[in-house]
Amino acid sequence: MEINIQEVGMTYPSGKQALKGLNLELKSPSLIGLLGPNGAGKSTLMKLLVAALLPTEGNILVDGAPLARAERKLKASLGYLPQDFGLFDELTVTQFLDYMAALKGLGDSKAAIQKAIGAVNLEEKAKAKIRTLSGGQRQRVGIAQALLGDPPFLIFDEPTVGLDPEERIHFRNLFSRTAQERLVLLSTHIIEDVQSVCDQIVVIHQGRIRFAGTPERLIQSAEGHVGVFYEREAVQEEGLHITARVNTSQGVRCRAVADDLPPFAQAEEPTLEDAYLYLISGEAAQ
Amino acid sequence: MGKIFRYECRRLLLNKFFLGIMAALLFYGWQVLSGVTILGVSHTAPFSPWSFGDYLSRMLPLLWIGILFFLTFFTSPGARRTAVLTAATPVTSRAYALARCAAALTGGALLVLLCMGEAAVFYGRMFGWYNWGSLVLPSLVTLLPPLVFALGSGWQMGQRRHCLLYVWMAVPFLLIALPLPEALGLWNGSFFTVYPLTLGTLDPEFALSIPVTIAQLFLLVLGAFLLAQNSKSAEQPIEMHKLPVDK
Repeated sequence: MEINIQEVGMTYPSGKQALKGLNLELKSPSLIGLLGPNGAGKSTLMKLLVAALLPTEGNILVDGAPLARAERKLKASLGYLPQDFGLFDELTVTQFLDYMAALKGLGDSKAAIQKAIGAVNLEEKAKAKIRTLSGGQRQRVGIAQALLGDPPFLIFDEPTVGLDPEERIHFRNLFSRTAQERLVLLSTHIIEDVQSVCDQIVVIHQGRIRFAGTPERLIQSAEGHVGVFYEREAVQEEGLHITARVNTSQGVRCRAVADDLPPFAQAEEPTLEDAYLYLISGEAAQ
Repeated sequence: MGKIFRYECRRLLLNKFFLGIMAALLFYGWQVLSGVTILGVSHTAPFSPWSFGDYLSRMLPLLWIGILFFLTFFTSPGARRTAVLTAATPVTSRAYALARCAAALTGGALLVLLCMGEAAVFYGRMFGWYNWGSLVLPSLVTLLPPLVFALGSGWQMGQRRHCLLYVWMAVPFLLIALPLPEALGLWNGSFFTVYPLTLGTLDPEFALSIPVTIAQLFLLVLGAFLLAQNSKSAEQPIEMHKLPVDK
């Protein structure tokens, strides 16, 4: 599966321009992490990719065909977990998945449902009414409906929200396994999720793509721009963005990113989070 | 779509609301049958089409509420949030809307059958009367146009603003309280109590006046048109104004 986003722009009727001149190529198999601050345009991009919105500029091609013409083909190959979604509370988990399987036109729904329930560890709650589930369990039902029928293109918008750390690790591994033969687009605020599983990263900020490439390349871009220092040693510096403060026995230890590190800062190996914050803070300063 | 239809029926019918409206219909129906219909209207027999029509017109507000309550399952804020998932599936929106519409109609039909079944039991037990053929026309004329209109108009309203459905539920009660023109006499029952007296014969055959016929036909056509509009608008996948605001 191949999705080409060509010069895509999206302006809402309110006049808010959510995306500008986006160019991106998504090809399977791949697990692509979509990063960006709140309001960056990530969810708008997701909605464009599931044909819930039409771009006001540019084109989206699905295997070479315009999305408007290939919409049904795309939806037949799609598993989608939006950031904010509802479930039919009066149905059981199995019934809801059976309902979604019918909408997806799955032939052997029973086997597909069992597989999806197993993948999200919800076997014990398979016959429970959805209204009785906790927030994390509802999120897992959402992931299960996206996985139904093993679609070749998966879009997850903040999939690990509401999950405990153990579940998050489980799902990271699941996404990683799933992406071995599929195209998976994973939008999240949690850098850890992206760092551990994604082979490609796209950073969106203020409606534009600021970075597209491997996590290693993003980390390399921040080399020499990350430093640590104790707060008592610090002098007010322009362009210094503190990304973490930790209380230690020797005082408050700060981690910061900057184009030019001040002399009191000791250079450190950047993490993906540093590199992301360096990229975003530089853009914000502009 | 058969499976979706069955699941929608399950959602609409296996819940406390449906049990509640059934209990209310049975209770109120029995009160009407044993308190009003048993006496007959306009000097006709209790099982005349006129008396039966009067009974149905008295039940209409509860049936109207029932139909609109079914629609709340499709237009509530929770249902809209689920629509984000269902809209990302390959099923055509029109087929999906039709399956849901059929489920709501099935629910409405069950409520109507409950009313009629209760009347059947009443007529059978009280009068040993089972000649139901003569009551088909008044049943269709009294219930079909307003209930199709309730479904069509309610769906349109609910899609625009969910709370309008609850306001719309009060309409038949308002109409009962208002002095209505002859054409709308089915809504407050005056057609069944007043019109037969103007026909100049004792126990007249069931007949519709021209204004009532036109009004009921208009309601039926308008309701069907609104339903068709609803499935047409569902066919358009890009409904930007209905989607959640971008975060």
